[in-house]
Amino acid sequence: MILNVIRISKYFPIEQGIFRREAGMLKALDEVSFSVAEFTTLGIVGESGSGKTTLAKIILDLIPATTGEIFFSEDFIRNFRKDTQIIFQNPYNSLNPKMRIFDIICEPMIIHKIVDRKHIRDKVVNLLETVGLSGDILTRYPHEFSGGQRQRICIARALASEPKFIVLDEPISSLDLTVQAKLLDLFIELKQKFNLTYIFISHNLGVIKYISDAVIVMQNGRIIERGKVGDIFNQPSEQYTKKLLEAAR
Amino acid sequence: MKNTYLITGIAIISILSVIALLAPWISPYDPAMIAQDSLLIPPSAKHWMGTDSLGRDLLSRIIYGCRISLIIGVIAVGIAVFLGVILGSLSGFYGRFMDTLIMRFADIMLCFPTFFLILAVVAFLEPSIINIMVIIGLTSWMGPARLIRSEILSLKEREFIQAEKAIGASSARIIMRHLIPNAIGPVLVNATLGIAGAILLETGLSFLGLGVQPPIPSWGNILIEAKSTLGIAWWITVFPGLAILVTILGFNFIAEGLKKIIG
Amino acid sequence: MGNLLEIKNLKVEFHLDERVITAVDGAYLNIKENEVVVLAGESGSGKTITALSICKILPRNAHIVWGVINLAGREMLCLNENELIKIRGKDIAYIFQEPVSFLNPVYTIGEQIIEVIKLHQGKNKKEAYEETIDLLKKVRIWEAKRVFQSYPHQLSGGLNQRAFIAMSLACNPKLLIADEPTTSLDVTIEKEILDLLLELKNKLKFSLLFITHNLSIAQKIADRIFIMYKGRVVEEADSQELFKSAKHFHTQELLSAYERIGRI
Repeated sequence: MILNVIRISKYFPIEQGIFRREAGMLKALDEVSFSVAEFTTLGIVGESGSGKTTLAKIILDLIPATTGEIFFSEDFIRNFRKDTQIIFQNPYNSLNPKMRIFDIICEPMIIHKIVDRKHIRDKVVNLLETVGLSGDILTRYPHEFSGGQRQRICIARALASEPKFIVLDEPISSLDLTVQAKLLDLFIELKQKFNLTYIFISHNLGVIKYISDAVIVMQNGRIIERGKVGDIFNQPSEQYTKKLLEAAR
Repeated sequence: MKNTYLITGIAIISILSVIALLAPWISPYDPAMIAQDSLLIPPSAKHWMGTDSLGRDLLSRIIYGCRISLIIGVIAVGIAVFLGVILGSLSGFYGRFMDTLIMRFADIMLCFPTFFLILAVVAFLEPSIINIMVIIGLTSWMGPARLIRSEILSLKEREFIQAEKAIGASSARIIMRHLIPNAIGPVLVNATLGIAGAILLETGLSFLGLGVQPPIPSWGNILIEAKSTLGIAWWITVFPGLAILVTILGFNFIAEGLKKIIG
Repeated sequence: MGNLLEIKNLKVEFHLDERVITAVDGAYLNIKENEVVVLAGESGSGKTITALSICKILPRNAHIVWGVINLAGREMLCLNENELIKIRGKDIAYIFQEPVSFLNPVYTIGEQIIEVIKLHQGKNKKEAYEETIDLLKKVRIWEAKRVFQSYPHQLSGGLNQRAFIAMSLACNPKLLIADEPTTSLDVTIEKEILDLLLELKNKLKFSLLFITHNLSIAQKIADRIFIMYKGRVVEEADSQELFKSAKHFHTQELLSAYERIGRI
């Protein structure tokens, strides 16, 4: 196991009235525990408000958890910010609009000093080609690209720090179906090429079935059911999972 | 897309800047030269804008005054924006204690009417060009600070900033490279308006005798004299007034044009 | 049976600052009475613009260049604004993806539905109130009185969509146009809304034009499917037929993506 999540909870205070009195706690995550094995994809599925995105952000230490602990295996993840990456749902929002594509992809390489100045350009072109874009877009800006292309740019940026573990938070939900299929295949190809481990978050059961090895079903901040992908889709044991599958069929 | 406001504004301000830069070469007379034989001459071929009660050429004085006004406007606002951007982004980015501290301080500063605050300070300090610039700068950083803070508060939640954190960028890098370039737009609009405001402030101070001191000519202290000669020499009031009007209009046009581009 | 709606050779352009973009380029569509037609396509294929053209509720910079839109024997493109206003809401009703943004946040759900009923049917307040409660029950809102008194932001996405459906059905439209009405909802809620729409269609006898990018919805509800691609209708087929033998390459591309990830 390269990642152990142990009883993570996240509460948000609910404020009311003009004096911002705390009226209660919203339990976004309630004692969530699971682990992820090396070179596998863990699919996390749930409807809106189930706490999927909050969980993703806590795993990558972008927001603090209220209680609980997260352990990464030390043999695997040495430099946390370099070895872990995240890809967000909305590619229109996840690129700095004022930066050129070259600078966007350089960013992680400069921060983690991955390649020397001389080879940086070659490396960026290489990354763009790896994600299926042409290498001559270096001086262009994010707004010139479609959603699918922007998501590819985000993937190139994530790969730039040579990560081992990537959290994909609904990475294709806002895209067209044909683009979704192409990107999913890209994710699978990259996983094999760079020996990656994924957590793939989605509300779409079809996508989860296609890409995951193991699956976690979440509802209202809790894990309802977990298991191998085949088991969950063929013999779901929980009522909620059955309902989800029924609705999606 | 045609942006008439911006083009007109930039044209006006560039002409004024060229005039200010070339003042020693284009002004027909020495602005401080007193000529007993040519007191209060109305506009004529020799003196395009006439002369004042000491016989000094008004056109030359307005040209040199332009220099002073623009320098004071730009530098004062430069100081205000510099302070405002630093304090505002610290406040917005770190939030909590830092935010409370900086914003309450800004609120306190905003409680005092700027003009009287400056009057009070000038009363203690010597009124010089540098003092005026610094004082105007130190008393008008609150606007830019609030603007940049609110921009950063909303940008901070955007995913590209989260992505940058996940990449491992330091807070300083996130603020300098990602937050400020995206938040600076409204501040620039505000700053251009601010320059106009600072120029008016300087004019007002000089008119009260607490700004730029004679014999250095400034539009404000030319107008002091206009007060006593208003009935007999209209040109001393009209031309500096027009100069102020055109300058303010120029900066307002630029601000309006920028607003269109950004919004 | 004749066609309730027939669109032929529709061309719509967008006039931007210096460019003209053709959003719809020769689209056609026809809907019979009491039929469910799905207009499917990816983003930017022109499906929404085609639907908005029917009642001419297009954005200001969009222009219908040519085409024929015939609703129950009337040429829609020849009507003036006043005549169109009478048709909108009465003969044709729309429901949208984000009902909350189409509901007025300062009025309760009940007030907004009553408003529509009074406007088109000229009933008095008491009759309108009873009809509203009736409508809310018809869209299977059990706590009709509570929802009646609620403001849009107090209700969930699914409830808002139901309330919006109730409002659009207030005047017994002949044609209901649903533009991605379930896209922002969870799958379990999506299923409920789809079931509701089909049930209401059978009960109230209207035709349904359903716009979606989601082929699994299309498969569930459609009698016939039109596929749009780059402003054109590239394929028209009976629902079963389309999923068996698609002809156009874009349809095939869509279906293969759907087979892999859209289905479980």
